[in-house]
Amino acid sequence: MSLERKDEHDHKGWMESRELTPIESVYLTVLIWLDRRLRVVDYLEILEDLYYKVNMQMPKSHTEQYNLDNKFWYWYPLYALGSFSTVAYIVAAISGALLGFYYAPAAAAADGSPTVAYDSVMLIMGQLNLGYFLRSVHRWAAQIMVAAVFLHMLRVYFTGAYKEPRELNWLIGIVLISLTLVFGYTGYLLPWSQLSFWAGQIGVEMSLSIPLIGEWVAQLMFGGFTLSQATLQRMYILHVFFLPFITTAIIAVHIGIVWMQGIAEPH
Amino acid sequence: MSDNDTDDVRTDGSGTGIVSPDDETPAWSERKERTQGLSRLTYEYFERARREDQDLRQQSDYVERDVLAFPAWPHEMMRNIALTSFFVGMILFVSATLPPEMPNPANSSVTPAIILPDWYLYWSFGLLKLGPLNPELSILGGSKLMADRTYGVLANVVVVGFVAIVPFLNKGSARRPVEQPFWAAVGMSGVIFSLTIAALSIKNLVPMDSHLLFDLTFLVPIVSATITYAVLKTMREGYMFDLNRRYYRLRPPK
Ligand code: HEM
Repeated sequence: MSLERKDEHDHKGWMESRELTPIESVYLTVLIWLDRRLRVVDYLEILEDLYYKVNMQMPKSHTEQYNLDNKFWYWYPLYALGSFSTVAYIVAAISGALLGFYYAPAAAAADGSPTVAYDSVMLIMGQLNLGYFLRSVHRWAAQIMVAAVFLHMLRVYFTGAYKEPRELNWLIGIVLISLTLVFGYTGYLLPWSQLSFWAGQIGVEMSLSIPLIGEWVAQLMFGGFTLSQATLQRMYILHVFFLPFITTAIIAVHIGIVWMQGIAEPH
Repeated sequence: MSDNDTDDVRTDGSGTGIVSPDDETPAWSERKERTQGLSRLTYEYFERARREDQDLRQQSDYVERDVLAFPAWPHEMMRNIALTSFFVGMILFVSATLPPEMPNPANSSVTPAIILPDWYLYWSFGLLKLGPLNPELSILGGSKLMADRTYGVLANVVVVGFVAIVPFLNKGSARRPVEQPFWAAVGMSGVIFSLTIAALSIKNLVPMDSHLLFDLTFLVPIVSATITYAVLKTMREGYMFDLNRRYYRLRPPK
């Protein structure tokens, strides 16, 4: 780029002097409009630079160097398990958002009478069109996600894919599997059925038995030492607010790292 | 700088006012060279890393390519998208076929016969039931150092912690299980243990003497680890022979 002035920055004249398709001229008009105000070109340049820096130039990989046939492992289905976890997560997120239109985390008594929460699940199952199916999809997507994550971890272990330079992704994976399990657990409590209640009971007891910080953890996660409305409300907010944000962000980082590093090749 | 630059300089509303530095402003490296302390160290390390890359580029086996390993896009992702359609279909199918149940409303005065979390937490639930292994210390007069419950929570922390540090225990470039029978055996015993400990957590549903089940929980993983080790060790020679043959055919020793 030369610093000599070519014209009076007459972008419009420049556009007219060229034969642009309608798509091109709309694109340029928007780009110039934004650029006059925000100088986006600087950022575009940075992004482009970043892209090439991130896609590091590296020496030949093992399979290239020794010309080992990479066809077999490339189609190896177990390498899709990580993507399956992601897909199941997305299905669960969509069906969960729809369930959220009808579910209410309220009136968590534990005297054997149906609470608001329990009734809203019953309503979804009994009255809502396709509601039973929706709940079923949400549950199964969650179960399948957990299964896929477990198996994904095993495939990473048995193909030695956690070794340098991928240790960090393994650690992130440990965080992800824990988050997935907590996701499942908090969701399990939401219908406030017998199973939910007693699973919650175990949770409180587990927290209480942690040395030193046990009572604090029980207060924080369960809103007290016995199960109540506070417990249900906390589980709800964890399940539909905190965990989705955190998990989505960490999955993005996890897959971003895979993208940067490439899939590990078996030797 | 020419004169006609100066006459239309306005800072109120013409253009963006955002102008990036020209060639005469100090370069990034010049600015960094003047820094001190941690940022100076960062800069020095970055320079080293750059030089390392440059050396790699000059190596004889360097080829220009985007990433070190097999590219995730499009190769991996195209296949995954095809599989995704199938997979989502499968979820919908299973959901339609096997809808969930709804148990009775919560009731704190009626303890159900079986208290269970979802299946994927059985292993963790099982680890809570390791009370019999909680050591009784004779210095403490035969009493236990910690409550059984605390012990169970600790067992969870230990198991997850161990899995987390695997990459720092097992290093090197070997990837196939045959190359490292020991680590394959460790993995196998882990998988089997997660199953047996899950069975232990639902011991009142398993038609077996609970003491026997307790013993098997630990015995079966050890046995399977031993078998894995033995099998891989036996396979190893032939396998490595094959690998080496391919290797040397392509790169004959000088
Ligand atoms: C929410 C859970 C998870 C999601 C959505 C996820 C997603 C993915 C995806 C899409 C890949 C690309 C390769 C493949 O599909 O096999 C991947 C790779 C990887 N994952 Fe995960 N993962 C999850 C959990 C885990 C866990 C629990 C671990 C291990 C503790 C882990 C460790 C790794 C490692 C080390 C790689 C790189 C493997 C390679 O380069 O061959 N991930 N993950």
